[in-house]
Amino acid sequence: MQTQRLTKDYGAVLALDALDLEIGPGITGLVGANGAGKSTLLKILLGLVPATGGRAQVLGHDIATQGPAIRAAVGYLPEHDCLPPDVSASDFVVHMAMMSGLPKVAARERAAEVLRHVGLAEERYRPMGGYSTGMKQKAKLAQALAHDPRLVLLDEPTNGLDPAARDEMLGLVQRIGHDFGIAVIVTSHLLGELERVSDHVVVLDGGHLLRASRTDEFLDATGVLLVEVLGDDATARMAQALAAAGVATTPRGALLTVDATAGHPDGHEVHDSHDIHDIHDVIRDTASDLGVGLVRLQVDHRRIEDVFSDE
Amino acid sequence: MCSAMSELSTDPSSATPEGRSVIHDLGYRPYTGPRLGPAAIARALLVTGFRNAFGLGRSGRSKVLPFILLGLNILPSVIIGGVMVLVGLKELPIGYAQYASTTQVLLGIFVAAQAPVLFSRDLRHGTISLYLARPLPSATYAIARWGALLGATLVFLVSPVVILYAVALLGELDVSDQSRDAAVAAGMAVLLALALAGVAGLIASWSTRRGFAVVATIALLLLGNGIVTAIQAIAGEEHHARVGEVAGLFSPYSLYRGLMAMWADGDIATPPTGVPMQTAYVVVFVGLSAACLGGLVWRYRRVATA
Repeated sequence: MQTQRLTKDYGAVLALDALDLEIGPGITGLVGANGAGKSTLLKILLGLVPATGGRAQVLGHDIATQGPAIRAAVGYLPEHDCLPPDVSASDFVVHMAMMSGLPKVAARERAAEVLRHVGLAEERYRPMGGYSTGMKQKAKLAQALAHDPRLVLLDEPTNGLDPAARDEMLGLVQRIGHDFGIAVIVTSHLLGELERVSDHVVVLDGGHLLRASRTDEFLDATGVLLVEVLGDDATARMAQALAAAGVATTPRGALLTVDATAGHPDGHEVHDSHDIHDIHDVIRDTASDLGVGLVRLQVDHRRIEDVFSDE
Repeated sequence: MCSAMSELSTDPSSATPEGRSVIHDLGYRPYTGPRLGPAAIARALLVTGFRNAFGLGRSGRSKVLPFILLGLNILPSVIIGGVMVLVGLKELPIGYAQYASTTQVLLGIFVAAQAPVLFSRDLRHGTISLYLARPLPSATYAIARWGALLGATLVFLVSPVVILYAVALLGELDVSDQSRDAAVAAGMAVLLALALAGVAGLIASWSTRRGFAVVATIALLLLGNGIVTAIQAIAGEEHHARVGEVAGLFSPYSLYRGLMAMWADGDIATPPTGVPMQTAYVVVFVGLSAACLGGLVWRYRRVATA
């Protein structure tokens, strides 16, 4: 999926401002505060809402001219309620599969299969009006998958779910992207969720692209090690000893942080993981020599929230 | 997938401990079968909508009203049939075309109550966004929904005509006379169904609340008809027939009665007289239906881009 200077102007509100974006296969998290333009972007990609300016291609189809072709190959889980209460999930998913062009027999098979995958068991034969929020979200996900799309757009799939249901939904999203081989674009305003499931993260803010990169780049970009030692005055002694060994440390609470990218005992720049392991060894040996208990030596994972504070 | 299956089949005994059957999770299987075009999708939507209009494929409770109304609507024709057979009348006690006019209240309630099932329901529950996220264009969606309501209304209107016709043939009445009258009634039923489906559908598509749509449609159809009928009666009494004829243009039911007076045997207060007025009745009847369908298509185009 690509966009070139995609713009959406709702008159008073500029929802998307000349957005240039490229999203590949795998799971892509679309992050942004409410009103950042996430839902608008999904609707434009589906060809539902015409863009005011710019162009975009989804699965090789142009949004302006090939809307039906896009909608045939894309599944959509909207943010709001979309389930008729007097129909069973089973009947509904069959119907929605047929609305994507599947013949009746195939639609029945697909519906049974996706309902099994999302984990709706016997309750699939009950009217959906009586479903819990978690079950409703599963039914919504099932209809989005019913026609075996090549890409699913999930708009806030974890909205309103309790922690257990949230975990289950995130697990499903992960399976769709990795096991089912369907590309996923998932939006959320909760960054921690996307951090867990997505391969790429796109951060939107006020219709602008704030950042787009691989999730692990977001998380590992610091290159900072956290060191925690246990013993009498251990932290201060450790800091001194490490300084003597040529490793600069900064205290952070009861912890020491080591900027592994800053330098190396030998004086040369660190640029691969091999050198970082050398620092691990230095820290371990220093702790051992001092006779303090090394209780923690870990990479300082950042959170996606930090991106906002950086900018 | 094939490799997964072969792995499973390498050691079948381990997969079925103690000989019990086990459900294997084969993982996700992509769909490789045919994908049908918009015409087939529209047809599927039409069929589902038609079934839904009678509560089929929905909860048990939603079947009650449409089938009670349908039963009440057919009941008189069945009773007439019984009487015909027992007494042996020489003609039907009620004309084919007149039947719909007699049961117009039931018809009005049916259309008013079932149009929201096809239109308001998707808007109210947000299901419309799922339809719009699929290949079918909004105009085709609107037409398929309208077609479903038209079909359901036609079943409601034509089934008593069919029963009466069967009774007439069983009663050995003149086949050619009866066939002609029944065919005229069926044609008029189509015109009335077009108008009612259009009016009720358009109202329902502007209302996300079922109750509001039902009340507004009943008010427009039945109260409107009541007012027109009153005006026509007064105009007939006061010998201002023209006023009554013009008033008849303002309600689907009075338009139907006007056509009935023209084409079938119907005794009404102020039948349309003269070619221009008769033409006006036909043009307004058809034009109303076309305008409503156009309104529906326009309405859903707006919903799609909102």
